[in-house]
Amino acid sequence: MINRTAILNEPREISDFKEICKLQEKYQRDLIQTNSNYQFIWIGEHMLSYTIGRGSNLDNLLDVCPENVYLINRGGEVTCHMPGQLVVYLILDLVNYKKDLNWYLRKLEFIIINTLTEFNIKCSRKTGFTGVWCENKKIASIGIGCKRWVTLHGFSINVDCNLENFTQIIPCGIKECEMTKIRDFKKDVTIKEVKNIVKKMIQKEFNLKFVSQ
Amino acid sequence: MTEGKIVEWLKNPGDKVERGESVLVVESDKADMDVESFQDGYLAAVLMPAGSTAPVGETIGLIVESQEEIAGIQEKHNTKTISQEEKVHNDGLQNHASSEKTNNENVKNISKTPNVSKVEKQKATVQVKTEINAALANNSSRVIASPKAKKIASQMGVDLSKLQGSGPNGRIQADDVLSAKGQPTAIPWIGEGNSSVGLNNIQPINKQISSDIGNSFGSPGETVKFNTLQKAVNSNMESSLNVPCFRVGYSIQTDKLDAFYKTVKQNGVTMTALLVKAVAKTLKNHPQVNSCFTTDGISYPETVNIAVAVAMEDGGLITPVLKNPCQTDLFELSREWKDLVKRSRLKQLEPDEYSTGTFTLSNLGMFGVDRFDAILPPGTGAILAIAASKPTVVGNENGSISVKKVMQVNLTADHRVIYGADGASFLKDLASLIENSPESLIA
Repeated sequence: MINRTAILNEPREISDFKEICKLQEKYQRDLIQTNSNYQFIWIGEHMLSYTIGRGSNLDNLLDVCPENVYLINRGGEVTCHMPGQLVVYLILDLVNYKKDLNWYLRKLEFIIINTLTEFNIKCSRKTGFTGVWCENKKIASIGIGCKRWVTLHGFSINVDCNLENFTQIIPCGIKECEMTKIRDFKKDVTIKEVKNIVKKMIQKEFNLKFVSQ
Repeated sequence: MTEGKIVEWLKNPGDKVERGESVLVVESDKADMDVESFQDGYLAAVLMPAGSTAPVGETIGLIVESQEEIAGIQEKHNTKTISQEEKVHNDGLQNHASSEKTNNENVKNISKTPNVSKVEKQKATVQVKTEINAALANNSSRVIASPKAKKIASQMGVDLSKLQGSGPNGRIQADDVLSAKGQPTAIPWIGEGNSSVGLNNIQPINKQISSDIGNSFGSPGETVKFNTLQKAVNSNMESSLNVPCFRVGYSIQTDKLDAFYKTVKQNGVTMTALLVKAVAKTLKNHPQVNSCFTTDGISYPETVNIAVAVAMEDGGLITPVLKNPCQTDLFELSREWKDLVKRSRLKQLEPDEYSTGTFTLSNLGMFGVDRFDAILPPGTGAILAIAASKPTVVGNENGSISVKKVMQVNLTADHRVIYGADGASFLKDLASLIENSPESLIA
């Protein structure tokens, strides 16, 4: 039967990247091995950390200090997380939805676009470049992994973060890819407001019932 | 997705792989996907190294059942192990791999690049030794088999060259492969609409039905509890007892419809989609038949949404909905329908995909029934029961007689909102559309 429940985890404090990675993998493993029926949604922020996928080109790292770099099992090129950027991880069993990663990526874009539209920010998809764009600048990035149709990782939206950090890398491997953030458009939006809207959108789009641990 | 990049091989040639174990990681767009082996065995050869990009369906590696076979395969493919320096000569290796592929077109058993939207494509199947031999022996007589038969054969390890096909010109059908393996052949279930209304294939169907036992959920002497879906159907059926229904029937000639179906079938059009389209188009001109009873009065839905009953193999039935079929072309509608059927069997439908019908179709034509009447689902005003189309002797207006394909349809309607004349004129127009201009159903 269709499983529409998910544990929602939204820590107030800024989280360590590696720790949350392990947490995600645990929920993914549990779902795969059917130890648990709970899908998992994590919404929070990370300390400055650069992440690369298994297929990433290391040249895009430019001159980042290696101790901040994490190699993870998602698709896409290098990206960067930092306080002020909302990070969302979704451990969903796509068997409950549609076994189609393309559908899933488009769904995540749809959620981000709807969220930004709530704040009256005009944004769109860009064919061939997964993520959400405000004109030519990237405001949200997506990178996912998938095993037995259970997803890993998710997306990040720049809300009020120091975009300087992106100049240390070639984000997503796209040369001259400029980043932007919500605060560039709306001065008074807080990360908490974005968090609440994202939460609602995810709940609506994936028909989820959130439960606490 | 048309191609995928091989990010990493998690196994090296010679390694043992277990069913369900990840063998490699493929990336497409922003998604990494672990590709697993669907069989126990040994990874014998890697034909596409990490870092290369392969089109969907390309052979990227070979898995064998036993360790002894590895050496043979590696010799045949000259790949041995893919070492670092070989990886550098990426181009050469890819050419090599593709030439190997052409030599081995008959080898079925190969792990393919996953198609992210089509799971079935990524099954890595095991190469059974006899199969390899058959393939390497380079059987020059071409095996003619349907795509489905080929797929099932490769999954079940059936040698197609040893089979006798029952299809046209001895073509091997999926059922031939299934029966060769001693598996039950599939009886067409409700609503798939793959069979033509005009039961051309009435013989084989009869044969299957007579040799097969009817559906049952329990053994003699048992009482089996209703499952959730059966309970839901029961409550719907009981609530229909409070609805004053009447029935009205019509005989529709389908020679033209069958001829049109033949021309569009190759483009993936299903009979269900054709019937849904015809009903939706007619309903547009008969909004009364699309209405339903509410305590406040007659409710007219904003759109025409056609629900089609699909029986579930473990009991109960579900009514996936084709929303606003008038707005969708016939080909898209057929794809939507196939997707809905597939997902309803897997119990993956969203509530709005099975509960938003404004009019229901129930088709038992594929079983050859000549007429039946359906029970009205709650929240709707009418349901149409569709029987098989059969050659029938028809009296013509000029006194002559001829044989025409005739299909009986039977409308069940809630008399509080739909009257006899409404139902009758709806059926008259539906018949006229199907009998005279089935080509107009395309858009």
